[in-house]
Amino acid sequence: MSKLAELQANFIHDCLSGPLTPDNTLMANDIDTQNISAQGLMGIYQNSAIANITNSLSLSYPVIEKLVGSDFFRAMCKQYIVNHWPTSGNMDDYGESFSSFLAKFEQAKHLNYLEDVAQLEWLFHQSSLAHDSRHFDWTNLEKVASSDTLTFLLSPSVSIMSSTMPIDKIWLMNQINAPENIELSLDGDSGTFIVLFRQGLKIEMMTVVASEFMFLQSIENGHDFEVAIESAKAVDANISIDHYLKKYIELGVIYGFSV
Amino acid sequence: MQSIQGVGVSLKHQHFQAFIDNKPDVPWLEVHTENFFSQASTSSKYLAQIRQDYPISAHCVGMSLGSAATNCPVREQHLQNIKNTVDWLQPGLISDHLSWSASGDGHYLPDLLPIPFTEEAFTIVANNIKHAQDVLQRQILIENPSSYLTYVDSPITEWQFLSSLAKETGCGLLLDVNNIYVSAHNHGFDPLIYLDNIPLNAVKEIHLAGFSTENIEGKELYIDTHGHRVCDDVWRLYEQAIKRFGALPTLIEWDTNIPELAVLLDEKSKAEAIISKVIRVKESSVYASVINGQA
Repeated sequence: MSKLAELQANFIHDCLSGPLTPDNTLMANDIDTQNISAQGLMGIYQNSAIANITNSLSLSYPVIEKLVGSDFFRAMCKQYIVNHWPTSGNMDDYGESFSSFLAKFEQAKHLNYLEDVAQLEWLFHQSSLAHDSRHFDWTNLEKVASSDTLTFLLSPSVSIMSSTMPIDKIWLMNQINAPENIELSLDGDSGTFIVLFRQGLKIEMMTVVASEFMFLQSIENGHDFEVAIESAKAVDANISIDHYLKKYIELGVIYGFSV
Repeated sequence: MQSIQGVGVSLKHQHFQAFIDNKPDVPWLEVHTENFFSQASTSSKYLAQIRQDYPISAHCVGMSLGSAATNCPVREQHLQNIKNTVDWLQPGLISDHLSWSASGDGHYLPDLLPIPFTEEAFTIVANNIKHAQDVLQRQILIENPSSYLTYVDSPITEWQFLSSLAKETGCGLLLDVNNIYVSAHNHGFDPLIYLDNIPLNAVKEIHLAGFSTENIEGKELYIDTHGHRVCDDVWRLYEQAIKRFGALPTLIEWDTNIPELAVLLDEKSKAEAIISKVIRVKESSVYASVINGQA
């Protein structure tokens, strides 16, 4: 290992070590400590890295930050970061496991909706990065024989999720210019089923009924059309598949198919 | 390739719509390349619209040019991501920092970590710059970062190190005047000596930004936050830089506590006023010497 590589390994060690003491600061002999101790100097870089990563989490999770307040959010992020340091310079990929961290974060356990709201925000983030889909090919769909096994495809920007909490309303209430007449009850719910998809520059959030959700989830899991219909009908035997199929193709949620 | 001239400002997502709707009078904009790695993203779609009206400069923060790790997939992947974005964006300038972020064990700290100014580090950084220029197929500019510590084994100065890098690799230099001021305060050197020892033709761009202060163990350090207006001392240092290097492309850089766009435009006007003043003084001194010569 070169001298510089060794120094950089020690630098990373100190940044990742949590509270620094004279005993655990490896950089002590490599840096000028005439005015400030090695712990003080390395602490600046430790704090700076955590602040930069926190800013990245703040961009992905603005509603969580608004819900818990900026100071609490930063404290939560610090706990998360010290156990989940980035492994790449592409910060778009960082923070996927933040929702499961929140579920276990003792000081926020009473806010039992945080995990699902965070999961929803991550899906918004993913949708914002996704590729556009091409227009649905109606002509070729007409050529599919009834004996063929048909499998529909969801657009890359589509995400679906369900929650026992009204997370769609919580998310909406924390947007700029949020509607004033949202009624919110956290006393259990029959379930919230959400479809996210991008149209142009805007990410649309749509709540759907359970049978629609099962239909889309089946498609998302790669099942063929027949299986998707069965999944939907298991929840609602009277579901109008034709109606929903047309709706989702027109919205661009379903963008293609394979035979 | 787009021409970068005059005083530009950082393009932040908070101002995307304002640039599209109002088209404020700004000669060029600078983006963090890392924010546009996905060309399908909504941010990239906004940028695609904005770049129709504004030349763009690509400022990178993660090439990790000072990293000693050989065979570092994290760094290679990052460079490839930058290449993809740059190929799409066709920016007028590309820059990154004299710093490192990626370690050999797979960690990546999104920060500008300092390097010692040793012969070994010089060889490593020079090779990394040459490699980046080979991959990107063009010159990159290297920026001086702010720093808060110095290494015991660091026999030459930052300005000597940077100047030698420019000579060895053919890279240009991006002088961040605020960073010079911040590091000069933290390490006790004269910022004018720094400026005076940078070769005239190497500098291709200047950055201006604000900083904050922090008390560490009773000593006040300046911390580079890019979240405030440019301070008076830095404006004075900028005037000296313009006198020495000429009216170089200058960026009003702002990365945290993003204010209304009007604040960035106000800072831009101040930089333009300084450039005009320096040019005016130069012109009158040329005029005076011509007149005196005739007399």
